[in-house]
Order: sequence, then C-alpha cells, then structure tokens
Amino acid sequence: MGKRSGSKRKDKNKVILPPELPPEIDDDEVDLSDEDIAFYGTDGSNVAPFRRFDKKSIDRYVGRVAGRDEGEVERLYEERQKRKATESSGRPREDDDGLEVDPVDALPTKTLQGELIYNRAKKARSEDNTGSVKSKAQENGADAKQSIKKDEPKGKSKNKKGDDNKVKNIQSQTEVPKGQLHSNVLEEVKEELSAEELFEKKKAQLAELGMAMLEDPESNIRSLNDMLSISNDKDQKVAKLGLMSLFAVFKDIIPSYRIRQLTEKELSVEVSKEVKKTRYYEYTLIRCYKAYLQKLVSLEKQPHFYTVAVRCMCALLDTAPHFNFRENLLASVVKNLSSSDDVVRKMCCEAIRSLFINEGKHRGEATIEAVRLIADHVKLNDCQLHPDSIDVFLSLRFDEDIGKDETEEEKVKPKKNKRWQKNQEVPKQLPVNDKKKTRQELISKAREEVDADLRAVSFTLDPKERKRIQKETLSALFETYFRILKHSVTTSNSRTKVNNVSPGGSHPLLTPCLEGLGKFSHLIDVDFMGELISCLKKLSGYSDRQDEIPNDNALSVSERLQCCIVAFKVWRSNLEALNVDLQDFFVQLYNLILEYRPDRDHGEVLADALKTLLWEVKQQDMLRAAAFTKRLATFALSFGSAEAIAALVTLKHLLQKNSKCRNMLENDSGGGSLSCLVAKYNPEATDPYLSGALASVLWELSLLEKHYDISVSSMASNILSMANLNPTQNPVPILNVNPLEAYRDLSMERELLKPSKALPLNLKKKRRGKEFVALSPDVLQKADCSVDKDELEEKLQSHFAVLRGISENERLRAELNNTLSSINMYKEYKKQKKKNMKFKTGRKKVARV
Amino acid sequence: MAKKLGKKARKFARKNLQSAAKRNRKIRNQFNHRRGPRRGESLPPTLLTSAPLFALPVRARLQGGLIESLLELVSGGSAGREDGDEDVPQRVHDSTMVTNDEDATLIHGLEFPEDDAELDADLSDSDGYLSEDPGCPYYSDSEDEKADKDCIMEDGLDRQNDDMNRDIKKQKKKLKKLLDKDPEFANFLEKWQSELESYRSNKEDSDEDGMDSMDDDDDSNDGNSPNAKVLKSKTISEWCLLVSKDPKSPALRNLLNAFRDACRYGVHSDGLSMQRFQNARVFYQIITFVLSESDNVFRALLEIQDDANKGKIMNLRNSKKWQTVDPLLKSYLRNSLDLLSQLTDNKILAFVLTRLRASVVLFSAYPSTSSRLVKILFRLWASGDQSLSLSAFLMIREVSSLLPDCLDLCLTKSYNTYLGSTKLVNDRNTKHIYFLIDCLVELYSLDVQKSYERAVTSVEQLNAILRQAFKTKEKEDLRKIDNWQYISCVNLWVRFLCCHYKDYNLHPLFSEVLQVIRGVAHLFRGTRYLPLRLRLVQMLNDLSTCSQMFYPIPSLLFDCLEFREVSQKEQTQRTKINFSSLLKVPKNLLKSRDFQEECVLSAIQVLSAHFAQWSYHVSFPEVATIPLFLLKRLHEQTTIESLHRPIKRLIDQVTENKDFIQRKREVVSFSPNDKASVDSFLQEEKFSRNASFTRFYASVAENCQTKGRKTL
Repeated sequence: MGKRSGSKRKDKNKVILPPELPPEIDDDEVDLSDEDIAFYGTDGSNVAPFRRFDKKSIDRYVGRVAGRDEGEVERLYEERQKRKATESSGRPREDDDGLEVDPVDALPTKTLQGELIYNRAKKARSEDNTGSVKSKAQENGADAKQSIKKDEPKGKSKNKKGDDNKVKNIQSQTEVPKGQLHSNVLEEVKEELSAEELFEKKKAQLAELGMAMLEDPESNIRSLNDMLSISNDKDQKVAKLGLMSLFAVFKDIIPSYRIRQLTEKELSVEVSKEVKKTRYYEYTLIRCYKAYLQKLVSLEKQPHFYTVAVRCMCALLDTAPHFNFRENLLASVVKNLSSSDDVVRKMCCEAIRSLFINEGKHRGEATIEAVRLIADHVKLNDCQLHPDSIDVFLSLRFDEDIGKDETEEEKVKPKKNKRWQKNQEVPKQLPVNDKKKTRQELISKAREEVDADLRAVSFTLDPKERKRIQKETLSALFETYFRILKHSVTTSNSRTKVNNVSPGGSHPLLTPCLEGLGKFSHLIDVDFMGELISCLKKLSGYSDRQDEIPNDNALSVSERLQCCIVAFKVWRSNLEALNVDLQDFFVQLYNLILEYRPDRDHGEVLADALKTLLWEVKQQDMLRAAAFTKRLATFALSFGSAEAIAALVTLKHLLQKNSKCRNMLENDSGGGSLSCLVAKYNPEATDPYLSGALASVLWELSLLEKHYDISVSSMASNILSMANLNPTQNPVPILNVNPLEAYRDLSMERELLKPSKALPLNLKKKRRGKEFVALSPDVLQKADCSVDKDELEEKLQSHFAVLRGISENERLRAELNNTLSSINMYKEYKKQKKKNMKFKTGRKKVARV
Repeated sequence: MAKKLGKKARKFARKNLQSAAKRNRKIRNQFNHRRGPRRGESLPPTLLTSAPLFALPVRARLQGGLIESLLELVSGGSAGREDGDEDVPQRVHDSTMVTNDEDATLIHGLEFPEDDAELDADLSDSDGYLSEDPGCPYYSDSEDEKADKDCIMEDGLDRQNDDMNRDIKKQKKKLKKLLDKDPEFANFLEKWQSELESYRSNKEDSDEDGMDSMDDDDDSNDGNSPNAKVLKSKTISEWCLLVSKDPKSPALRNLLNAFRDACRYGVHSDGLSMQRFQNARVFYQIITFVLSESDNVFRALLEIQDDANKGKIMNLRNSKKWQTVDPLLKSYLRNSLDLLSQLTDNKILAFVLTRLRASVVLFSAYPSTSSRLVKILFRLWASGDQSLSLSAFLMIREVSSLLPDCLDLCLTKSYNTYLGSTKLVNDRNTKHIYFLIDCLVELYSLDVQKSYERAVTSVEQLNAILRQAFKTKEKEDLRKIDNWQYISCVNLWVRFLCCHYKDYNLHPLFSEVLQVIRGVAHLFRGTRYLPLRLRLVQMLNDLSTCSQMFYPIPSLLFDCLEFREVSQKEQTQRTKINFSSLLKVPKNLLKSRDFQEECVLSAIQVLSAHFAQWSYHVSFPEVATIPLFLLKRLHEQTTIESLHRPIKRLIDQVTENKDFIQRKREVVSFSPNDKASVDSFLQEEKFSRNASFTRFYASVAENCQTKGRKTL
C-alpha cells in the first residue's frame, strides 16, 4: 500500500499550496488503481504535467518542513524498490541526500516502466538542471500555482473517466521524474564545469528540449518555461540560441486558431478532463508566448540582440499572423520598417509583404492593422522615413469591385464570432456528472471543432466582410499617400537648391508614394481627384508663369516625371469621372526630356512617362504631337541607345497616329500648308505649341540611321520608310513593344547579363604589305639618323674603360686576397712546424729512452 | 648584392627599373667570373632535344640546367636560383589564364599565354674560336704604346685599383720577408695552393650558378682560344683593309675572333682576352668595323641579295658555300647578341641594333639565336628611351616579317610586355605608352588574320571581366577594370580597329569592343571617374571616326557640362591635374577649381571632335541642339572666369556651323530618307576642309597636342 499512501501524501503535499482537493475523488482513484500497477502507471502519466510541476513546489515544501513521519513510509518504499533492483547506480546516492529526495521523486519508480526508457532519463535530468540554474524560481513558482489550480480538476476528471488509451505517454511521463533523481548529483558537479562546457551543455539541452517539444507538445508544454529561462542566460550566445529555438518550437506548435481568454463564468464551470487538459495546454502556451514576445521586444533595444530579435519577430509574424499578440508583433515590425540596418529593414519588409500577400492566413485583419500602423508611423515621423516602409504597400491587393455597394456588411463578422464562441462554450455547459451525456457531447463537440478548424484553416471570408476590411485598408493607404504628397508640396518650396541633384533628397517617401498612387489609381475616390491632380501639378514643377525657370522646383527629374505619370494614370482610370485638363503635364514632360541625365535619373521612369503620356494616348493634338516628335528625335541624337530606342518607339507611334505629322519626314521646300502660328522651328521653346515643330524636318533620322546600335538604326530607317507610304498605311512593324520594354531591352544591365556570343574567328586572308599603318612617318624618321660617329667612339671607349676597370679591379682583388691568405698561412705553417718540432723532439726523447 | 635581393624584388626591378637591371648585370659580371661552364651545354644534345617530352616545369628547369635543378632538389633550392636576372621565367602554363609573375596581381589574366619552353637546341654548337690563318699579319711594334693609358678615365674604380695596387705591393713585401725568413715556408705554401686549386676545380663542377644564356659557353671556349696575341690598332686597320677589299680574305676570321673577344670583354677578367686589347681605340675599331661591314661581307660570301627571305636562306643551308660561311656567321651573330646584352648605353645599343637590322634574315638559320634576340629586343623595346625603343621595335618588326616562326612569339611577347609596362602610368610615360600602342598595332597588322584571333581572345577576356564585375559589383572585381592595364588593353584594340576597320570585316570585334567601353562607362559613373570616362569617350570618338557610325557622345559628357559648386577655400595651392595619367580623381580635388576646369576643357575637346566629325552632316543642327543648350547654361552659371572664353568660343563656332548647315539645307530638295543625297550633302566642302568649324577643331586639336607635350 505504500504506493497508495505515497500518492496520497503527494496529494496532501500539493494541497498545502493550492486550495482544497475534493477527497472523494481521491478515493475513487484508490478504488480504481488498487490492484493494477500498470493502471496506476497510466494514471500517473495522465496527471503527469501536473505532477511534474508539483515536484518543485513539493521540493520546497519538503525542504522547509521535512516531515518525519512521511520519512518512514518513504523508507519502506525505498526498500521495496531496492529489492526490485530496477535501478542500480543512482539510487544509493540519493539516499544519502536524504531530505532532498522527496517522495515525488520516488513516485514513478513504483511503476516498472522506468526501466524501459532509461536512456531518456538524461533529457529530464538536464531539464531539471536548468531548473536549478535559472534565477527566476519565484516566477516559476507563481506560474505553478496558477497552473495547479487549473490542473487539478482536470486531472481528477481524467481519473474518473479512466482513460487508459494513452500508454504511449507513460514512458515520457515516468522518465521525467526519474531523471530528477540524477539532478541533484549533477548540481554538485555543475560548478566544476567550465563555461565552455556549460555552453555546450546548454546547447544540447536546448536541442533536447526542443526535440521533446516537437515530438509531443501536449505533454511537454511545460518545457517552454525552461527554454524561456535559458534564453535569459547571461551568455549572449546561449540566449540567442534560446530565442531561436523557442521560435522554432512556437512556429510548430502555434495552433491555427486564436486562443481566447476564458471568462470568469467559464472558469467557474466544471469541465471535462480533456477540456481541462487542453485549457491548460493553451494557457501555458499563451503565457509563454507572451513572455517570449515581451522578451523579444525588450531585447530589440539591445544592439547585440537586435537582429536576432527582429528576425524572430518577423518570422513569427509570417507564420502566425492569426495568433494572439499579433498587434504587438506588428507594432515592432512596422517600427523597424525604416530601420537603418539594411538586413533588419529587408526582413521587416518581407514579413509585411508576406502578410499582405497571404491574407488567407489572417483574413485580412492583420493587413488593415499593419497599414494603419504604417500610416501612424509616417505621420509620427513627419514623412522622414526610409522609402522601403512605404514600398511595402505595393504588395497590397484589392478586389476590382471594391467600393461598388456596401449594403449589409456588418452582419457577417459577429455571426462568425458567435459561432466560434459557441464552440468554446459547449463544454462549459456540460453537466458534470452525467457521463453519458458528456460522451455524447464530446462527440458532437469534436465534430463541431473539426468544422471550426476547417473553417479556420481555409479562412473563407465572407465577401462582404472582406470588402469592409479592404475598404478600411484602402482609406488608410490613401491617407498615408496624401499625407506624403501634401508634405512634399509644402516643403518643396522651402527646399534649397543644394539638394537639387540628389534624387529623393528630402522626400524619401515621395517616389514609392507616387508609385503606389500609380498602381492604385483606379481605387482613388473621385472626390479627392481634383485636389490630387492639382497637387501633382504643383509637384511636377508647373507654374502659371511661363518665364519662371522650371529648375526652381526642388524635386528631382525622376520624381517630377513620376508625378506626370501618376496624373495620367489617375486620369485614365477614372476617365468618365474626371474632367481635368492635363495639358500642363505635357508641357512638363516636353521640358523634362531635356533635363534628363542618364546616370542621375532613372531611365525607366522616363520611358514609362513616354509610354503613359504619349504612347498609350490614342489621339494627340497635332501640334503637340509634332513638337514631341521633333524633340524626341533630337533627344535620340544625344542620349544612349536605350533612351534613343524608347524615344524612337514613341516617335513612331506618334507618327502612326498622327498621319499629318508625317510631313515632317519630308523636306517640303515650299514651307508646307501645315506650318501654323510659328513659321520657324525653335528648338529651345518651352511650350510645345509654340515650338513650330511642324515646320521642321526630321533630319535626325538620317543620322540615326548610322547609329552604332543596330536596333536604333533599323528603327530609324523604319520610321523614314513611312514617308513613302500613304497616310493610312503603316510600315512593317519591326519592334512591337512599348517604350518601356524597348528601353529595358537595350539597357546596359540587360545587355551585360546576356550571355556573350562567340566572335567569329575568320577573316578574309589578306596579308598586308610592309607599309606602316600606325606609326607616323616623322617618328620613323628619327630612327634613321644614327648616332654621331665621334659620340659613338667616345661612348664605346668609355664602355671599354669601365669594363677594363672592373676586370682590373677583380684581378687585383684576387691577387690581394691570395697574398693575404698566404701571409695568414704563415701562422699555420709555424704551428705545424712547432708540432713537428715537438714531435721530433718527442721522438728523439723516445729514441733516447 | 643582386644575389641577396628577393626573387620578387629582382623581378620587379627587371620589369620596371631597366637601368638598375643593367647595373646589376654589370656588378654581377664582376663577381661571377669564376662561375663554371653552363651545365645545359655540357649535356649531350640528344637529351636536350628530347626535352619536349618532359612535363613543362621540368622543361623550364632544363633550360636552367639539369644539374642545377638536381642540385636544387638536393640542397633545398638554395643553390639554384641565385640569379634571376635573365633567368628562365617560372611560368605556369594554363590553358586559359596565365599569371606569370607573382607580383603581377594586376595583370589578372589579360596576358597571352607565353610558351617559353623553346629549347636552345643549337646552343651547344661550337661557335667560339675560329682557327686563324697564320698568314695574317700581327703588328707588334709599339708605335702607339704611349697612348696606352690615355683614354682610361679617372673614375672611382681606378682610384680603388690604385689603392689596391699599393696594398698588394705592401703585402707582397711582407710575404717576401716571411719567405726569406723561412725558406721552408715556400714549399708549404706551394703545397697549400695546389691543394686549393684542385679543390676549387672540383667544386666548380658542382657549383652551378645558373647563369643565363648570355654568358654561357664562356669557359668552355677558353680552351680552344689560344690566341693571346695583343691586338694593335695597326693590325686591326690592316685587317679591315684586307676584308673590305676581299670578303673571302682570311683576315675575316681574325677579325671575327677579335670581335668575339671584344664582345666578351669584361666577362672574364682573368681570361686571356683581357690582354688582347691594347687600348680602347682598338676596341672601338673592331666593333664599328665588324658591325658596319659584316652584313655586306656575308651577303657577298653567300651571294644573296637584299630581298632574300627565309626560304632562300634555308635553301642555302645545304649548299657548300654555307659550310664555309656557317661558323663565321654564327660567331658574328651570337657575339653581337652578347654585345647587346653587355651594353648599357642607349645610344650604342641603338647603333648596334640599327646595324644588326640589316642582317635579320640571316638569323633565320639559327632559331635559338633568334629567339634569344627577340627576348633582348623586347627588353630594350620596353625601356623608356625613345630612340632605343624605336630601333628595337624596327628590329622586332623586321624579325617578325622576315622570320615567320618568330611572329607568334613576337605578338605574344609584345602584348605581354605592353601590359607589363602599362601597370604604372604617370605623366612621364604616357607618351611612351602611346608609342608602344602604335608599335603593337604595327606588329599586329603584319598578319591581320592571326592578330584578329588574338584580339578576339583578349577582348573576350575583357568582356568576361566586365561581366563578372557587373554581376558581383564587388570591390575586388571592380578593381580589375579600374586600372591602367585594363584600360590600356581596351585602348590597344580600339587603335587596332581604327587602323583596320576599313580594310577588313572587323564588325563583330568592333561591337564587342564597343560594348566593353559602354559597359565600363556605365559601371563607373560619378564625378570621380570623369578622367576614365573622358578617355573612353575619346576611344568612342576614334571608333566612330573610323567606322563612320554615329555614337551619341554627349550622353557621356553631361557630367562634365553640369555646373558644380566650387569650394572657395583652396585657392592658395594649385595642384596640377593631368587627366592623361589619371583614371580616378582623388577625393580632395573633386571640388577644386582645377578639376572643374580640366573637366570642362577636356569635354570641350572631345565634344568638338564629335562635332567636327558630323559638322558637314545634314543633321548637324540637331546634333548640336542639346549640347548647345547645356553649354549655354554652363556659360551662364559657371563662376570660373577662365572657362568663359573657351566655352563661348565653342558655342559661337557651333552656332556658326549650325547656321551654315541650316542655310545649306534649306535650299536642297531631298528628304531625310534619301540616303544617297544625304550622304553626298556638302561632300565637296568636306574635302576642301575650309569650313570654319573644321579649322576651329584643328586649332583645338593642336592646342591639346602642345598642351600635352608640355606636360610630358
């Protein structure tokens, strides 16, 4: 019975911390588990999360109280355990530790399964180890209290039901406490470990925890706390690893629904064991997630953790935009959109973009939140942000028919919510005692859950709801755009000339803003349009006074061109609604063409402007078309091939649409009937209407035919061939693309990325004569006037002298060395002589003897 | 000491400090006289000829001597490579890229692979002493004995020699005393000396010096050069007379022997040849006479004409006549080469080269000698001296055109030498580099088909480097373009194209080069790279002129014509900026007046070249429209007074020409699509070259020339 009393005691111990425990349930348990050890084991396993948790509080309790009477029981139990001899090494030591080893440790050993999974014990051991390492013990304790409250009823109900189908879990459950047996030993050794080993250990521990989590998140959910505490480690490397592995774990275990906070009422109602378990799981998950996010947000401020923290947040936002605390994540990520760190900024942009693109993940709610946050951010920073932060808007997608009708849109969402709530509330209303009913309910509940899950996964959003969200998003978007435009208008006048050259100098957001306006131009509300156009007109540098130099405008050429483009896009997409005169934009473009500089400004913008303003417009005013034709032809003569081909494509289009302008292809010496107000062409005119271009001849094309680039020259001759056709005919199209495509095709980037072609290696064999081709004759003449004879003689002789001097020197040196060494040899000689003498005398002596 | 210098340093010296290299050679001669015979020579010729079967590195070693390399292996590499001056370059042969020098990191594979493993197969042919006809007179009367020392200049060495002489006398006295004191010592000393001698001679066999091919086979010939008769001025004169009278005279042999000794004078100080020359005049007589006359003499002996080519010589080789002349000719040619490698004075070298040029065709009989000649020639060609370079080049050209086998070698070597010498460009050597380019183009126009293939390879390399840099945009890759070697290489092919575009179908190469130029201009934008850009624009102008194709030059010049702020503070010190030796402007000068000035002036120059090219074209007014617009604005805005006048002048000239063309085209009746008429428009005026703009451009060009000369 020791086992029973042990378990009882455990319950008692536990009871001390949380409130009361209904005794009758315990009795039930006893009845059920009395005979069958195996069953008890399963039981134990079912309560595992709770038990594992308990041991800590119990530890403390035991350490504090050290109840003697229970020691007896324990000894009994221990003896029995020894007899069974399932464990060999670890136990005796633990006995020595005495007080530290509490009954809870012993508990699992009652079961026989402990043996089976011995190798797994390590995992738990190390887990415990961290438990001891970490500093936030109290916090854990506090957490524990809460979870116990939640857990106990759950465990009880489980016992009641006696679900015995979870045999698999047993192993992992039992091993955990067992591992703790070793923990204390290890604790002693721990201090001896060097920091490096500690690091390695922690790494391994993290890996193990993570693996366990992924294997069975339900039962191991508690390890999240341990991982969190690891990420609090002083060692920054460990902390980073902790953050990253926590992210990996969360990524996998975050459910596809949002976890709702339980209401008081819900909490007070008794629920089934399973539900309790789930609730506990969810509760722990959300608590840890929150703690994790708080940690990330706080670490984000530390430069060392900046990148890691932001990376984790971005990735979390990407994987779980539907989950709780999305708002916090979004706020941080949006804040970092204009970070000065390129990597961070890129990550955030990607995260937000994927948020916009994969709206299915969060039903568009996150989109609107993000857009609003960005709007606030822009407002807060007075439009001085990195362009990327606005650039992400380009990834937004709206339905075409948005804004058509808005009847009865409000209905859907609450309904849905209700449904969802119902799902949650079902278990709550279950009568606690009625088992059968419970089962039935369970089945129906499961079914509904599956339904809800399905819906949650597929995220089929009601079209009206969707429309509502999109509308809100759109209005936030345009609010941002208009803010930026207004800001640019008000500040551009005060801008100094110095900033003139650098594009986007003090309006960093203008370019992406214009781009966005262009893209979403069809969605702009008609009411705003008049104002928008006048705004753009101002920005594009147009002024009513003709004498003013256009250069006064502080925006760069690209930006001004973009303004023209946007104006036209807006105008075109709302053709019926808008009655605006866009003539001024043509004048702007006409002048801006001359201001364009290949390396400073973006050629694509120019090509785009040509495309939008000239190429896509069906019918042009004849005078205007003529003026542009002439200017583009002149332009093509002074700019690179990519710009030239864009200009020529436009020019050709203009000539095709305006057959009267084809007169410019011919040199009509009589002056022509078409020459209008201005009889003579003035290339420097700022107004296309006053340039008198109709009176000019497109002589440029004759030179462009000699252009080095084959596509430009063939285009020029193609255009020239129009002169021979009658006005309704068009020449054979050779390049059927718009100016922008033509520009891109010929741009240097494209050309250099093309694979280089092999050059032919054959030439007509033709051997050249001996005449010189490169060297000029006067250079060659110099070669023939040979050296002056006297000078030559003198030089040769001095050469000889030097050589002789050198050889003489060498000879003398050799002789000197020779002599010197000979003298030196004399000493040697003397020595030898002496030796000889000695030897001789010695010999003499010997002889004498 | 040359030996002590690191290998790298020596290589650097060889490449860049020609004069230092020469001095080194001189010094080395002073110390190497005791070196043993060249090992390669003592090897049986069969071994040498079978060498191509060896792996390449081994072959390279063989050239340096097999024993040497063996020794090197044994002694850990210290014995062998002690002098690398003319050493066999340690080339790594690779199919695509060759990095010849360890220190040539900047070459990055632009060079052509050089096959340096040609063997001196006939180096072992004895060309030494020619047996003399005893009938030739030797004058031993000492009529000019007193003039013996007259021309020896008093220099440091002589003083040193005098000192040493005194020393020797003193020490000798000492020794004598010792000897007197102890007569037995004399015996001892003798024994010791003979021991030393035998030890030395043993050692000499194994103590290989790795001498270059220049002073090889010296000692080996000492043995059969018993003639130690002193040559007097009178003797030489007599011989010269005899030879000029009759080329077949036996005196020729004597004379050539004397020439041989003269050419090697100083190589062996202890050789008997040292004493053969009574004085400097004799030396001079021999050298000048042999060099100036021997070509005629040999041609007379072989009975060949001036226009003889290689085939003829090869035919002659089997004739009987050849057998008799062969040793003489060989001796003459090889000794002249020795002389070339000995001499240090540019003028004498030029003289020798000019003389030798006449006999280039004779080299064809001796391939190894001619390859040696080529090596020497390229060294001299790359040297900075103008006249020497020119004469060396003329000789190279002669060699390449007369000896077809050498053409490949010459093309490769010239290209690599050119690249090597463009590593550093400064104000002083820009002119020399232009000269080198011209020479290269000359050489490459000898056989355009062959050169075209090389050009294609080289341009493809350039293109590959460009693409790589474009892809990665990494600093290291960009550095491969932003250097003189790359740009000079492009410049070379532009020049090549300009010379041959009209006569050959070079269009594929043309567009490839054009792409490289455009790519580089695109890759390096910004004000700092304006000098580089202007250089590219000049190239484009050249290409445009030669091909008569239109290139929109202004698109690359907007940066120059844009008004920029000038910092006012650094008016005190004016730094001279010369764009011809710059690729990138130092940052501190970016805002300086001088830089701005230079920018605008250079832009005006290239722009007027562009205008001049199209100044007679019917659409000139349109060509000028946009640049004129910019020039006017610049004229209004610029604060640099000195720029007002040149800008205004260009504006006026362009406007005048514009009006002129406009007037002219108002009266014509053809349309732009009438190609023939457009082409013939104003052709007469173009040929008369009287239009004001043409004259203006001529003056601009001239101005630039004189300015350029001033800076050189």
